[in-house]
Parts: sequence; structure tokens; C-alpha cells
Amino acid sequence: MAHPPSKSRNLQKKHPRPLNLIPIMNLFIVVIPMLMMIMVSVHLALIEIALPAAAEKKIEQEDQEEPPPRIILALLPDKFEILVGEDEEYTIPVKDVSDIFAKYDYNELNERMSELKTEYNEQNTIDILPDPSVKYDILLKSIDICKFNGFPAIKYLTSTRKIFRAKQKGGA
Amino acid sequence: MRRKAAVVVSRKLGSTFEPRPPKPKIKDLNITSLIDILTILLVFMLKNISMDAVEKNAPEGMLLPTTITKDKLIKTGLTVNVKIYPDKILYGTDNIKIGTLDEFMTKNEVRSSLLKLLRLEAKRITDDGNIPSLLIQGDRDLDCRYITEFINFSASASFANIYFSTIHTDNLNEVLGL
Repeated sequence: MAHPPSKSRNLQKKHPRPLNLIPIMNLFIVVIPMLMMIMVSVHLALIEIALPAAAEKKIEQEDQEEPPPRIILALLPDKFEILVGEDEEYTIPVKDVSDIFAKYDYNELNERMSELKTEYNEQNTIDILPDPSVKYDILLKSIDICKFNGFPAIKYLTSTRKIFRAKQKGGA
Repeated sequence: MRRKAAVVVSRKLGSTFEPRPPKPKIKDLNITSLIDILTILLVFMLKNISMDAVEKNAPEGMLLPTTITKDKLIKTGLTVNVKIYPDKILYGTDNIKIGTLDEFMTKNEVRSSLLKLLRLEAKRITDDGNIPSLLIQGDRDLDCRYITEFINFSASASFANIYFSTIHTDNLNEVLGL
């Protein structure tokens, strides 16, 4: 004898149960404050520079043939000066002397560096020589422009500062 | 049921009692929209999170320069962090105060104590088989004379790899000042 269907077996009356979101809420309440604590709002970058001795060793190893001309970027209080080898010399004067941060013509420097890279494609190093009174911000922006234009190796000149100054005075 | 029956009884008896209003049903809190918001927040934060230890250490109260390019730390390189503020120099992750910039430039005791710290740290890193690197976090208003002096100084303490810390941007015009 077959049993009748159970009274509780009434599929039409069954409603879907609401999803229990409490565990996931608990998870969010823990995870989101934790992420907010460790979230990085400012991304820092590293800019590598080489000291003259270390950079020269690398250049000697890399370049066995005739090396491309040395490019020196001097950061002076009133201008950028680019020396290419012994002969070529470019000067980028300041635009506005009144404002200490906006006076340097970075756009012109960017264009000049791009031209130099096109001309001396094998050269990857720029020797940078900042004047002691030039701001650190200007130094880093100049390094950044050099790196952006395909000069990844920046050699920070420190010891030749006096020689450069003497050379300048002698030239003037 | 009992209560209804009681009410009926009371009406029959001519009482002034009135039936209680039905209790309002407590609706379930609809947290679906909240979950949606939290999911978006979670995805956004997971995208922005960085596991790089260097990126977390933005120094407080210091205006860093902005650059578009960035280099990577050399393999097996371990950095020693130096923060150069306009009025003080802090050494290492513990922010040990070394002195002011003028003291660093002029006072021999300040220089010798910093040199000692740098040499010890460089030796420790080298003994562990790593390459000592120096990370300079400097305020953008500093004069280059201090940076140059510091680079000379750290080179004498066997730090050949020197890095500057900057804020990274993708906008070239910001760097060019346009």
C-alpha cells in the first residue's frame, strides 16, 4: 500500500530562503578598515644615480670601441648648460627669475635631450653637475627629463665642481 | 487565539476593552545595497594596495619632488633610509635624529656619528651577502649643496648605490611645469 505524499511536501508553498549575508558583512567589516590602513595614496618612486667612479667602470666595460661624446648637464642658478664633448655647448636660460620653481625651461631641456638622444643614440649616460645653490627639486626634475629621454645612467658629478667653475671663469 | 477568545468573551460581557492592534512585523534589514558598496570599495582598495615596503614609507611633513620615471632597487640590495628635512636629518627606519643641516656641514661630532652609523650598517648588509644602498628622501626646497655633501659622505661609507625618493606621476606636463 502506497503511502500518501507527506503533508510538508508542498513545493508550491516553499519560498526561497533569503541569503544570509551576515558572515560576508563581518568579513567586510574586518577587511575594509585593514585595507584602508595600509592603502597607498601616494606612490613613491626611486631614482637611481651613479657616483663617478662606479659609472666610469661600467662605461669602460661596455664601450670597447670609440665612445660617444660625453654629455654634461650643468644646473646653474640662471640657466641649464649642456656640454657635448669638447665642442658643442647649449645654453637654456631661465624663463622667469621672479619665481624660484617655475623659472627653468624644462620644456626646452626636454626637447634638447630628445635631440641629443637621436643624435647620439649609443650614449646612455648624462653627467649632471648641480650648482650648490640650485634646489633639489630642480636637480631631480632635470634627472627625470634625462631618464625620460633615454639616458638611464645619471652620473652625479661632485668632485669636478671646482674644475668646472674654473673652466667657466677661464672661458668667460 | 486565547487572546481573541478573551476579547470575544469580554465583548459579550459588555466590557470596554478593545482588541490590541496587531504587532507590526519586523522586516529583515536589506543590506544588499550595502554589500554592493562594500564590494566596490574592496576591489578599489585591493587595486591600490601595494606590498612594496618602500612605497609605504612616505615621510611625514616633507614635500618630495615629482618625477615621471622610476628605477628599481638592485637585486640583493638593502637600503638604508635617510630623511633630509630643511631643519633636521633623520637616520634609518627608527628616525634617529642626527642633527640639523648646518650641524652636519660644520660640526665634526655630528659627521663622525653619522659616518659611524652608515659604516656599521654597510658592513652588516655586506656581511649578509647583500649590497648596501642608500635611499635619500629629501625635501624639494633643499639646496643641492647638502645633497652633494651627503652623497660624498655616504660614498666614503661604502654606499655605491644611491637612490633618491620621489613621488611618482604619469603626467609629464607636471614635471615640465606646463
